[in-house]
Amino acid sequence: MSAKNNITRRNFIKCSASSAFAFSVVPSFVLGANGQKPPSDKLNFAAIGCGGMGYWNIYKVGEAEKENIVALCDVDTREAAKPGGGWFNASNTYQKYPDAAKFKDFRKMLEKQGKNIDAVIIATPDNTHAVAAMACMQMGKHVFVQKPMTHNIYESRVLVKAAHKYKVKTQMGNQGHSDEGIRLIKEWILDGAIGNVTQVHCWTNRPVWPQGMKTRPPKMEVPKTLAWDLWLGPAPYRDYNYQYCPGAWRGWWDFGTGVLGDMGCHILDPIVWALDLKSPEYVESDSPGGTIESPPKSSKIHYKFGPRGKMCAVDVTWYDGGLMPDRPGELEQGRQMGDKEGGCLFVGDKGKLMCGAYGRGPRLIPETKMKEYKRPAKTIKRVKGGHEKDWIRACKGEIDQSSSNFDVAGQLNEVVLLGNLALRVKDRVYWDGENMKVTNNAEADSYVRRDYRQGWTL
Amino acid sequence: MKKNNLTRRDFLAAASATAAFSIVPSYVLGANGQTPPSDKLNIAAIGCGGMGGVNINMLGAQNFAALCDVDDKRAKDTFEKYPNVPKYKDYRKMLEKHDKEIDAVLIATPDHTHAVAAMAAIKMGKHVYVQKPMAHDIYEARELTKAARKYKVMTQMGNQGHATEEIRLVREWLQAGAIGNVTRVHAWTNRPGGPWGWAQGRDVPQKPKPVPAYLDWDLWLGTAGNRPYHPAYCPGVWRGWWDFGTGALGDMGCHIIDPIFWALDLGAPDSVEASSVELKPHSAPIASMITYKFGARGNMPAVEMIWYDGGLKPARPEELEPGRRMGNDNGGAIFEGDKGKLMFSGAGGAPRLIPETAMKAYKRPEKTIPRIRGSHEDDWVRACKTGKAASSNFDYAGPLTETVLLGNLAIRAGEKIYWDSENLKVTNCSEANKLVQRQYRQGWSL
Repeated sequence: MSAKNNITRRNFIKCSASSAFAFSVVPSFVLGANGQKPPSDKLNFAAIGCGGMGYWNIYKVGEAEKENIVALCDVDTREAAKPGGGWFNASNTYQKYPDAAKFKDFRKMLEKQGKNIDAVIIATPDNTHAVAAMACMQMGKHVFVQKPMTHNIYESRVLVKAAHKYKVKTQMGNQGHSDEGIRLIKEWILDGAIGNVTQVHCWTNRPVWPQGMKTRPPKMEVPKTLAWDLWLGPAPYRDYNYQYCPGAWRGWWDFGTGVLGDMGCHILDPIVWALDLKSPEYVESDSPGGTIESPPKSSKIHYKFGPRGKMCAVDVTWYDGGLMPDRPGELEQGRQMGDKEGGCLFVGDKGKLMCGAYGRGPRLIPETKMKEYKRPAKTIKRVKGGHEKDWIRACKGEIDQSSSNFDVAGQLNEVVLLGNLALRVKDRVYWDGENMKVTNNAEADSYVRRDYRQGWTL
Repeated sequence: MKKNNLTRRDFLAAASATAAFSIVPSYVLGANGQTPPSDKLNIAAIGCGGMGGVNINMLGAQNFAALCDVDDKRAKDTFEKYPNVPKYKDYRKMLEKHDKEIDAVLIATPDHTHAVAAMAAIKMGKHVYVQKPMAHDIYEARELTKAARKYKVMTQMGNQGHATEEIRLVREWLQAGAIGNVTRVHAWTNRPGGPWGWAQGRDVPQKPKPVPAYLDWDLWLGTAGNRPYHPAYCPGVWRGWWDFGTGALGDMGCHIIDPIFWALDLGAPDSVEASSVELKPHSAPIASMITYKFGARGNMPAVEMIWYDGGLKPARPEELEPGRRMGNDNGGAIFEGDKGKLMFSGAGGAPRLIPETAMKAYKRPEKTIPRIRGSHEDDWVRACKTGKAASSNFDYAGPLTETVLLGNLAIRAGEKIYWDSENLKVTNCSEANKLVQRQYRQGWSL
């Protein structure tokens, strides 16, 4: 093996997972179509949304795992991005799979290529996750859906049920859920490493895109390479402006779910999983500069969860946009809180546990506590080869369920999206999980589900 | 007489309860004619628009010897009310010329000229009333406090909530153990937002604008470094720029932290840490959270005080009944003790134990703290005339201002700072020490 080739898949996955938004530049020798005749155990994959995060998901399935990519769909066929920025467009993906059928409308792709497709990667903006995933599942296709799984809570519940009904294998794209860190956190907390957990603080440095816009930008001519109507999907119609797409849609409520929807699915993941959090009693938030159109530039969101089994009630507080929890006294001077993308601080009655974003690098603090700690046996099954590989295994029946299948991911996704209900009304929102209803605020309740534009259904 | 039944006392209560200054009809202001002329204080005012205009109105029973403002437009209303009083743009000239006629000086300029103006007056033996925050820098606050003692002048910072009944109740109740040992306090304001708000998180304007004819830009800049004029700096909006203002904290902290500082005898914190949103090199952030840690004081245990601004608030306490408002438009505070909680609105208004059942059950202690009759300004006038210190004199207001301003130091330092108050020094971050005392523009000194 040449020195050139010693960037292993494992290393690459670790590396890209560690930056998820800023995509490391991968040398061209690990890219490119392989041209090998697929062995018979390969599945046929399609993708909806082939730029941005979709580019990397497809890379891992098509090139790293050498599965067949048979159909590709994207509404935006702008020219390929030059390597160097780490950000690729659908055309970059298209160039690598000249034989794959190309579509702008995923409904047409499913109609024409349905019989050839076993499974679909969905990496569109948040507003089209649910309709695309549902259409695939109804045709019996396995789905990998970028996080957040859906744009609203109602869609989330519908997808969870549909996965059971159509007996398909599912995975949300919170790739940290297939890593070691989140497993260690859960094992240690269940082992009582820090006693009863009463508070968790978690934070991220994002947004790195504009938020807090008060008004919509003026109408612009739609680029010839963009199918604007299809990009809007089920969202209400509005005139095109470059400020919505390709990248900045996260900062507009009609399309995205803000910082929380982006990073919450990564950073709240170890908290929700380790502490088995389901419906909170309430969520409250205050936020400088949120508008009817756009999430605020920063937010602080506070969730109150009641007791669960042997676990006591816990307060979970989210900070973004530059806000941070106080530095714990246990953290040695000069040591970073979390990592450069954020982190979590679990506060128990017997100690504290800190990790970075995606559950990376968990440690009891201070470090002396970590050193003294007798770690429990590793009882949770580990995932080899990364998050996409995990899903591929489930699709092939090699394992029963992938790590962040919709039963697991739906729970997380709902907790994440509940934060946005509070954020949008800047109030304490009481949640009746069983009936999927905000009990004290009609406006917040109106955001649980939204009406689709004519021609779109779930 | 129906027209007159809004008393000054009512006005004060209203003003302190909202800390936003209602427009007061002229019949409650103005001279009342009751003060014998010989007994009147001769006051010079520096900064006659905005809050300065409000203070001048409140001091209407006294005599104004000279008025100074660098902005004719902003001072217009006040100047017209006193047609025969000499007017100046440069306070140094005014003080020099009218030294013999002036007993006392009111200073209501932007933050960055508070200290130089106050110091000049104090050194001439004048009593001073200085708008809050008393100074732009911690060093200036310390120097003013020392100078007031040295020159034996009567001082008052313009945190007018300090003259109210409510701030005294807060102190009396907490000192009587109404909620036991207080270990945490949350304090918040809506600033820089709200109707009285201004922009923060800004980049320096690149295209200079011509200086308006009514403004002496060089004198407005005062101690701050020279730069081209831009309406993004003044009037009113200077609070968001670090070179002139002290942000939401400097504005409202002196009101909202005041009752906490007093009731808990806080003094200087051991450490301060902050996180903020859209902090710019020259502009305060659009929102911030600041945690101050104070050690044990006398028989009071260590306490942390958490400040929120820009729309951030603490989590709603369980004790607060559903539907009941947390604080008011300007903000408020919640004290957490081992035996209960106390909430107030704005700058100490409407203090209540929460829940309301705890308030109803509470047997209030005796009112032992002397009450102020009249307004905060009246309190200062009385001090000037009797030699008995005003309620928010610099021995009190200096340390309060220092503590408030330390929050800005933590915001700008970007790391937790440990504070050595005696030596006026951040012990762990040399960069932050540069912000304790800024460099003045040539020609200006304290």
